[in-house]
Amino acid sequence: MRYIVLIFIFISLAFTVEQFNSDQRLQMPYKKEGLSEREAVEHLLSRLSFGARPGEVEKALAIGLEKWVQQQLEHSLPGAALEKKLSGYDALALDNETIVNTYLNAGQVVRMMQKNGTLSKDSMAKLEKADYRKDLLKLMQEKGLKLPQELNRQLVAQKLIRAVYSENQLQELMTDFWFNHFNVSVTKGQSQPYVLTYERDAIRPHTMGKFESLLKATAQHPAMLYYLDNASSGSDNNEMNQRIKKMVPANSKLKKTAGLNENYAREVMELHTLGVDGGYVQADVTEVARALTGWTVRPMMKDGYGERLAKMQQSRLGKNMATTEGDFLFLAVRHDQQEKTVLGKKYLSNGGLNEGLEVLHQLATHPSTATFICKKIATRFVCDTPSATLVAAMADVFTKTGGDIKQTMIAMLNSREFWKKEVLRSKIKSPFELVVSAIRATNADLRNAYQLNDWCTRMGQKIYSYGAPTGFPDKASFWVNTGSLLNRMNFGLAIAAQRIPGVGMNLLGLNNNHEPESVEDALQTYSAILLPGRNQKENISRLTTLVRDEALQARLDKALASTQPPTSIEEDKLGAGDMMGDAMTPKMGKGKDKKTPPMETAVSGQVAHVVGIIIGSPEFQRK
Amino acid sequence: MTNRRAFMKSGAMAVFATGLGGIPSFIAATAGERKIIPPYKKTKTLVCIFQRGAMDGLMAVTPYNDPNLKLLRPGLYMSPAQTEGQLFDLDGKFGLHPSLGSLSPYFTEGRMAVVHGVGSPNKTRSHFDAQDYMESGTPNSKNTPSGWLNRAIGLTGHEATPFSAVSLTAALPRALQGDHDALAINNLEEFVIQMRGNPLAGNMAANSFEQLYDQTSNQLLKQSGKESFEAMKMLDLKLANNYTPAPGAIYPNSPLGKSMKQIAMLVKMNIGMEVAFAESGGWDTHFNQGTTNGSFARNLKDFSDSIAAFWKDMAGYQDEVTVMTMTEFGRTVHQNGTGGTDHGRASCLFVLGNDVQGGKVYHKMGALDKASLEDNRDLPVTTDFRSVFASVAKKHLNVVDTAKLFPGYEGDMLYL
Repeated sequence: MRYIVLIFIFISLAFTVEQFNSDQRLQMPYKKEGLSEREAVEHLLSRLSFGARPGEVEKALAIGLEKWVQQQLEHSLPGAALEKKLSGYDALALDNETIVNTYLNAGQVVRMMQKNGTLSKDSMAKLEKADYRKDLLKLMQEKGLKLPQELNRQLVAQKLIRAVYSENQLQELMTDFWFNHFNVSVTKGQSQPYVLTYERDAIRPHTMGKFESLLKATAQHPAMLYYLDNASSGSDNNEMNQRIKKMVPANSKLKKTAGLNENYAREVMELHTLGVDGGYVQADVTEVARALTGWTVRPMMKDGYGERLAKMQQSRLGKNMATTEGDFLFLAVRHDQQEKTVLGKKYLSNGGLNEGLEVLHQLATHPSTATFICKKIATRFVCDTPSATLVAAMADVFTKTGGDIKQTMIAMLNSREFWKKEVLRSKIKSPFELVVSAIRATNADLRNAYQLNDWCTRMGQKIYSYGAPTGFPDKASFWVNTGSLLNRMNFGLAIAAQRIPGVGMNLLGLNNNHEPESVEDALQTYSAILLPGRNQKENISRLTTLVRDEALQARLDKALASTQPPTSIEEDKLGAGDMMGDAMTPKMGKGKDKKTPPMETAVSGQVAHVVGIIIGSPEFQRK
Repeated sequence: MTNRRAFMKSGAMAVFATGLGGIPSFIAATAGERKIIPPYKKTKTLVCIFQRGAMDGLMAVTPYNDPNLKLLRPGLYMSPAQTEGQLFDLDGKFGLHPSLGSLSPYFTEGRMAVVHGVGSPNKTRSHFDAQDYMESGTPNSKNTPSGWLNRAIGLTGHEATPFSAVSLTAALPRALQGDHDALAINNLEEFVIQMRGNPLAGNMAANSFEQLYDQTSNQLLKQSGKESFEAMKMLDLKLANNYTPAPGAIYPNSPLGKSMKQIAMLVKMNIGMEVAFAESGGWDTHFNQGTTNGSFARNLKDFSDSIAAFWKDMAGYQDEVTVMTMTEFGRTVHQNGTGGTDHGRASCLFVLGNDVQGGKVYHKMGALDKASLEDNRDLPVTTDFRSVFASVAKKHLNVVDTAKLFPGYEGDMLYL
């Protein structure tokens, strides 16, 4: 009998393990926390999307909670509107080689043209003069060359457009989350050309997959290799290297000692995997750096040594010296061949490229990593200070599923903590989230996305430009400070008054073209549209007394009626002059907006005022 | 934050805010003649200017007697002896670039000091890393969450105001990030709730927002909202709109000139600013650096004229203000193949103030022969930047606990 019980226990244990390997069931315990289905959907839309569009709560209710979440986790909903919006952005599909040979700064162009004789040597001295710059830009246009700023504009614009229009909202949030986790920055010049493909190729495809794939893809991408300097890290502990050094003359560049750079090795443990208290010491940093020596970037500039390298790789010796995998280059001659010990694990000598991959595997599967990553995900999606219990539950799933991000997300949604009343609306939107949610909530038409970059910057989030490898901190106190808060309020007023070029809004249309009867009515109507499910009493009760003052209202009507909206809004016409809207670039192809904004009446002015106040209100800052 | 709350509770701000009427009359008074006794303690204002891109210290302040310099950078070498665009001889060894002409009187008067051979013990030649290290103040640790100027605010030993630390930049620089509140204001005129062309609606919106933020159940939003509106009321934008600098103070119409002008306004508004931060760009002179003319000279002139205009504008306030400049590293001693210089190690910095022991070039610089250079190419770092930053913070901001300001630093202090 006892045996039978034991066997039974054994079988059921095996069964649980088995269950973990297959998919967990999505079982969201919102009812246990006292939420209605509608409240649960409202919470989901504020956490797993960039905020609800009008009518989206009802839509999700119709689809069904669980199905809606499943769709988001699978992120394969079609999006014709998104594709159309992105179609003008020609850089989005380019590969790294094309990018680095197309987007050049003026200095690079001059040097390139001096080299091939197109420009005379003394031309450098003239570079400062305005007319010379004009000539230079003309020349660039003839040669099909573009400025790096233009690449950056497309990068920023696509992020905004996807966040606003993608049906796969969670996928966009996760892309944002993982990019920030494995942060790179356009402020580092060497890294800048590769940031676009970094997000596209290293982050986006893996957002809901295995953590280790994400880690490997980022480690081998040029943006990261340059950003954290691993591209320049090398070692002399290498036989081939020593032999070459003996062969070449004393003054050869090849005599130079290759130096170890620990930058990436430290950050990959501290920020990407184990966390600062994850149990590594300085010696581990050095050992990881040694294991990753020789990990660098394939030369891609047309006038660089790319051709020579390619030729060299055709010989047998060359093959051994350098391996390319896409744009990642493993230079065996720069790799430290001696043995290493990382976190107590021994790596035998001559490990080659594989050694670095094994080290990444070791880090990805380390218990500290599971905790560190799950805490970060919970902080992003649940609250600024998730409980240790929640993190442990998620880490358990993370470990048992081999770092499966989707399964970890399900574990989070299945927890009661995600649905707790004190968690609802407790997170503060980042400036980027505020901007995107305002456009979504008002069903605005984004015609020139890049225009919103300035506002994100003013509110404290210069997209793709956070210099430090930590990424933007994910806590309310970072976003809410004296200066940025006023800018959030001004953003609300500006966007609702249609003072941000490139964003079109039809506020009356939001309310089926019913004109509100009073300011009070407008407040109530638009609060319900923009903040579905929020307690309106808290939001507007005291305001109502203010706007009821009839004399004030009359003065306001008059004042608003006399304010004119901007007369023309530039359309997104890319590839033409708009994308190069710098002072130094001649403007061309600037299309005037066909849809002239409606004449502003006292009523629409009032509505804009009310909507501006709602978007700038504390309630709208919360998610 | 705690300091701030205590300050708010004391009601000092409310008194000051209702006394706003004092400011317009104060505008009428020209620079520095009248002083309001502020309801808080303030030691001084330290104005930091970060020269991003790595200034060539050897060209700004040239050790012109060293024969190696002429050999290594023949196209960039300048001296006090040349007939045109000569250096301003400081002490028989160092010469000031002619573009720094507007600052040279302060050196002569003993109010400006130069520190040469200054830099970071961390040998990185990456702008990004070196700036990060210099701003966090921890050259060996990249993940220090706060910047040194933010820590300085917490170490002054008295309560802060919303304007204790202000950066005249769009985003808060690394140096000012941290636990203590710091403001980033790109343009003072933007520090207001505004509806362009409709001030009445702007006022009404501000009222509505103030009420809404006062009612919210989210404490952080409530508190920050309160502080925002109080700070907004403290700032009198009429001053910004109708500002007339002191006689002789002519600011260049450049980003740095505009920043310095706004810092002057904030100092004169007497709102408790102790740290001000501004940036100057364009120092990464890899090609065509030029000597008396060219990109470097032009940039240096803008730098010099912006500081000089600020100093003149500070007329009656000069005793309360210290200016310190900084740059992430210096540039190669030799010139490169494109008429410029590449990333190097040590550079120089300037400290200006009435109680600065100026008129002197502080340095431990040796000969510039190749063998004496760092990695055979760069001016070695002989003075740790922290030895200067710490002493300036101690003397001018009254920061006693410099070990907390620069954790891990055990070196000497260079008193100026």
